[in-house]
Amino acid sequence: MIPKSSPRRPRNRLVLYVLLGVACVFVLVPVLWMIVTALKPETDLFSTPPRLWPTAPTLDAFRRVFTDYPFADYFRNSIIDVVAATGISLVFSSLSAYGVSRFKFRGRGSFLTFLLISQMFPSVMLVIPYFKIIQVLGLYNTYAALIVTYVSFTMPFCSWMMYGYFKSIPRELDEAAAIDGASPLRTFLSVVLPLSLPGIVATAIYAFITGWNEYLFALILTSSEDMKTVPVGIGQLIGQYKIQWNDLMAASIYAVVPLMVLFVFLQRYLISSLTAGAVKS
Amino acid sequence: MRLIRPIAAAVGLSILGMGLSACSSGSPSPSGSAGINSTTPVTLTVLSPTVVEKPESVVEKGYADAYMKLHPNVKVEFVGVPMNDAYAKISTLATGGNMPDIFVNSPEFSSQANQLGIVADMTALLGSDFMSGFAKAPLAQATLDGKVQFAPFFTIPTGLLYRADLFAAAGLTPPKTWDEFEADAKTLTVDVNKDGKTDRWGFAMVGTNNGSGGSRFIPVMRTFGAQELVKDGTGWKTSFNTPEAVAAFKLYGDLVNKDGAVPPGPLQTGYAEATTEMATDKTAMMITGPHTIGAILAQNPALKGKFASAPLPAATGHDPVSVLGMLGWSISQDSKHKDVAADYLKFILNKENQIAWNLTTGRLPARTDALEDPQIARPELKGFIAAQDYAFTLPNVTYYPDLQVIAANAYQGVIQKKMTPEQAAASAAAKTETDIANNK
Amino acid sequence: MARSSKVAASQQRAGLGFVSPSVLVLLALVVYPLFYGFYISMFKTNLRNMWNFVGLKYFVQALSDSDFIHTIGVTLLFAVLVVAGNLLLGTALALLLNTNIRFRVVLRAILILPWLFPDVVVAILFKWIYDPLYGLLNFALTSVHLIDQPIVWFGDSTLAFSAVVLSCIWKGYPLVMILVLAGLQSIPQDRYEAAQLDGAGLANQFRYVTFPGLVPVLAVSVILDFVWWFKHFTIVWLMTAGGPIDATKVVSIDIYRIAFTNFDFGRAAALAVIVFFICLAFSIVYRRLVRDTEV
Repeated sequence: MIPKSSPRRPRNRLVLYVLLGVACVFVLVPVLWMIVTALKPETDLFSTPPRLWPTAPTLDAFRRVFTDYPFADYFRNSIIDVVAATGISLVFSSLSAYGVSRFKFRGRGSFLTFLLISQMFPSVMLVIPYFKIIQVLGLYNTYAALIVTYVSFTMPFCSWMMYGYFKSIPRELDEAAAIDGASPLRTFLSVVLPLSLPGIVATAIYAFITGWNEYLFALILTSSEDMKTVPVGIGQLIGQYKIQWNDLMAASIYAVVPLMVLFVFLQRYLISSLTAGAVKS
Repeated sequence: MRLIRPIAAAVGLSILGMGLSACSSGSPSPSGSAGINSTTPVTLTVLSPTVVEKPESVVEKGYADAYMKLHPNVKVEFVGVPMNDAYAKISTLATGGNMPDIFVNSPEFSSQANQLGIVADMTALLGSDFMSGFAKAPLAQATLDGKVQFAPFFTIPTGLLYRADLFAAAGLTPPKTWDEFEADAKTLTVDVNKDGKTDRWGFAMVGTNNGSGGSRFIPVMRTFGAQELVKDGTGWKTSFNTPEAVAAFKLYGDLVNKDGAVPPGPLQTGYAEATTEMATDKTAMMITGPHTIGAILAQNPALKGKFASAPLPAATGHDPVSVLGMLGWSISQDSKHKDVAADYLKFILNKENQIAWNLTTGRLPARTDALEDPQIARPELKGFIAAQDYAFTLPNVTYYPDLQVIAANAYQGVIQKKMTPEQAAASAAAKTETDIANNK
Repeated sequence: MARSSKVAASQQRAGLGFVSPSVLVLLALVVYPLFYGFYISMFKTNLRNMWNFVGLKYFVQALSDSDFIHTIGVTLLFAVLVVAGNLLLGTALALLLNTNIRFRVVLRAILILPWLFPDVVVAILFKWIYDPLYGLLNFALTSVHLIDQPIVWFGDSTLAFSAVVLSCIWKGYPLVMILVLAGLQSIPQDRYEAAQLDGAGLANQFRYVTFPGLVPVLAVSVILDFVWWFKHFTIVWLMTAGGPIDATKVVSIDIYRIAFTNFDFGRAAALAVIVFFICLAFSIVYRRLVRDTEV
């Protein structure tokens, strides 16, 4: 990593903070507007000019999200679907990425290429074949439907990313383990996997967020209120005739909280473990 | 790239896949297995867009609860899908055979549903007696080739919704021609608080490039005498490229650019935004249906009693035009409980329930017994009720929604001054001809 | 000789063993839909009871339609601009975040926020911020007297396009930032030390150590990001539905309309296949340029 020493000159430091500050403003202004909107009573929503702060800030919208709509159900479903899908996807992707990065076998190149190609078909057209498969398997309107779907969505990219990270872990470590009598699977589990933690974390974050925010397939593959996920619930707040802005913003803020918690918890694992000085390259 | 292996391996799978696509459209089941009065438990699934909207959901769930009380062996389950996604979901379900027992249908979707073969014989199931209790115009538009496709549930006939109080204050009467309309719109565009900036405009134009905008423009165009699509002896024809249509496009352009009678941003003003413009006292008139009154009052109860309605203005020498904007219910051909479904539909269409729907949502009932009830014939709805008589039947082609978008793109071009009205009309006609040709 | 073929065989077994779970998933959920799409693109069909074989008619029609070519052009420009924005912003921020500054965790959490919101929310939020009457942006600009009249962002083709691109960059840069951050972690520290010993300053360290170390990550990120944004649908659809007229009509909007508004699934599938081949061509060309040697 870039040397962790602080930039020598105070001027460089200032520039750094200013740049980061500007970026934060770019990010936070829309988010703060979301929060302000969620706190507004109905009458404030369409004032001109727009009010920067509600006349009477209220937490009603936040309350309504759970009382007027079954968002508790939606959250439960999203958590089940996405945690399972992320877990399965990580397992499959790390296994295949390891296989591809360590072994030369026929079909290796095709497999890697195919991972990329699988991403190239517009998802709008995938809805119907997916629906047919789910339906033939009898999985319509079940947890399994979305778990399977999200695994297939995230696995190719996760495999490619893990492949990149595994490649950068020196082979000598594998060889050392082999000399010690470990099988390939063993080597994978106890040597390579722990060292590639940053890569795993990045792909886990990606897989989780992708599944959490997915809308179209969740809409098509579920039908009952007790199976719908959070994005579908949010989509229903956009009515044909009117948009319930404050409830919508409140629900969106709720939807982001688990992701933020997950990210804050995992982001410290993005620190490299290579400084253990295992091998001189 | 070494693709040979994956391709070879996959060919086998694709053959399997084609097999899947051929045999997964379920075979129709014998109708009416569970009788209405039996005690065997029956679950009715109803795919509805209104059940996810407020305040409609309260009424609709109320119907289901009341029915379930009367028939304890029946369970009514809703599959709520937002209206914007409803037809996509139905089409997908149709390909796989997971159709609900009852699903929403409309003149825009009925030809597609009919072609897909997912609609059961509604007249046989509901009985011709019951059918004769529907108002004429809705029933006519629910019928394709002599077969009734869906039981009309409500109509929202397009008309002119206007602020009666602002009209009275300015000494105006509802416009009968488009020239009067333009003049009125200009008169009503004022600077209320005298700060030099306009804060109320005459007309809330829905100018988005989608069905919402297009479906309002098309009746306007028809009042000039031009049709987006009409069937003559030899097939479907369009008169998008006539002077009458050009006049309609010019009107839209002038209202924005010449008269300044439309609030800024018409191209991104969808139905929800226009409703808000009316509710926040930014505009005096809107082309829409009766349901908008309820939506406006929900946002601003202080406007209660200030609205009135009239049929759309028309070009001199022509009649007003309206679109019924209907939604209705179809029973699915695949349903295993057609009799129970029919009974449920008859229940929710009874007079009491139809009136309840109107009182909460402002939409007009489709049944004559309810329409004639004094609770329905309120002053602000009079114009819309009158407008029903001018409704035209939407051409029953599967690509009709595309025509609405084509019209919308054309008027956007005129408003943006990227096209003259003549060019807009010509481009709309050309695109329509392509659609016609593609669907011969 | 016998020994090396035994090694090769065991490599074969081990390799295949590791990839087999993924392969199974891919065969069912990727191969089948792809071939399904190719198959129905040759029919005029509603997928239930109408299957009229039309062969390559839809392909010929699309490729000779100037509107479609224009749409592809718009989509290309959109994808290129968004990916460029994501790359620049994401890499720059990752580099900044990787230094020893205070509040690093808080800053990382803030800067990753846009990615955490579903597309639906991002689209609606920005659409509202850009609103001519009630929007925050016009309010801010008029308050500081940069403009007198509210700008109708989605009424003008160029402004609408820029607004849409900007919103997508807002949503898209954190993914690149995270990938680059993780990639930066896997560059061994000793390379930096070696470079410093050779007298390299910050700029040269970046040029000779950081950037080459990031190339594998960046290479794949660019391909995948481009493909994703080329296929993108939700944000543009909800913000402008392709308007004004067709200034922001990306190709997925066409496909969605044709499939789910006109119910012409065969024609939509044909367009999807064309998009597929465009993405494929791009990744081939790009890989040649970057020369990723491992595959």
